[in-house]
Amino acid sequence: MSDTPTSRSEQLALLQELFASATRDASEAMNRWTNGMVTLTLDEVRELPLEEVCGELNLSNELMTMIVLTLDGEMGGDMILSFDEKNGRALAASLLGREVCTDPEWNELEQSALNETGNILGCAYMNALTRLVEVELVPSPPHFIQDYGASVLQQALMAQAMYCDKALVCQTHFHRAGEEMDWSVFFVPNEKMRQTMEETLQGVS
Amino acid sequence: MTTYAIEKTDKKVGIGQIVVGEADSLLTTVLGSCVGVVIYDAKRQIASMAHVMLANSQGRADSPGRFADTAVPAMLEMLRAVGGVSTKYRAKLAGGASMFAGRGPMNIGENNVEAVRRALAGQEIPIDGEHLGGEKGRRVEFACDTGEYRISVAGKDVASI
Repeated sequence: MSDTPTSRSEQLALLQELFASATRDASEAMNRWTNGMVTLTLDEVRELPLEEVCGELNLSNELMTMIVLTLDGEMGGDMILSFDEKNGRALAASLLGREVCTDPEWNELEQSALNETGNILGCAYMNALTRLVEVELVPSPPHFIQDYGASVLQQALMAQAMYCDKALVCQTHFHRAGEEMDWSVFFVPNEKMRQTMEETLQGVS
Repeated sequence: MTTYAIEKTDKKVGIGQIVVGEADSLLTTVLGSCVGVVIYDAKRQIASMAHVMLANSQGRADSPGRFADTAVPAMLEMLRAVGGVSTKYRAKLAGGASMFAGRGPMNIGENNVEAVRRALAGQEIPIDGEHLGGEKGRRVEFACDTGEYRISVAGKDVASI
């Protein structure tokens, strides 16, 4: 974190390139999974002060539906896929070939459909990262959570809190029929992963 | 007779931050495995809230609110600066959940709670109320005038301590 501003911005630009490529892979996978319904674009790779992350990402008091995949091990991180309630349920219904469920509680099938969506996205991103850092990365099974977005993101940020004052966050947006949806993917690498990514990218540049 | 509703000013406490509020303030934050520590002086209606992420600073002094061992002394310093009297201080705690249903670093919440308790005990500050643990996030707000700490889980008010 002591790099000059120029080299830091160059590194961020390289990370942006890496995640843009990963997002293209994830988008193709998502496109196949949803029969062409949903695509993704990388919003940006950002470094944000830890204290401001939740506010900057608009994750505060709202309850959200999320799928979390964790990369355990020395080189790890967390990937959080967040959905707004309405469109998340519409996606689940579409994948299951059923009417949109109106029960307040998500049933097991709906959760399973979203978990699988998270799994597909997570694997696409992990494959891209594996190619970069040349270490096989295997995410945990996806985990369905309904909670405050900020409370889930701060858990992911803890891995960075001891060593960094800024969090590296990759944010992706979703589109359905060309319209932007209120869904996002956040990837928060731990310290070792972040260091390895940056060292690898320095070698590339 | 006319009644007046007093509008309180929301003061958001970000991750790892410490914020001080006076009588017209409502200190608010969202917690997962972090702990929302409040130290307050009921008589003077002033309070400090820290959003503690981790138990031990390991010598880091530049982000006191982030760690339990540095947050409590920093909160006391900030309260003193606005006229707090240390013999009157009381504390309330919320948070420390085991997020992701116990997957991942599952003991972080518990570690945070224990470290906060140790730090408060070291300053001889009694704990008046707690709402801790579980597997869900909390939205919390502390009213500096009444000393009420309100907790919502999954969008529903569940406790007032």
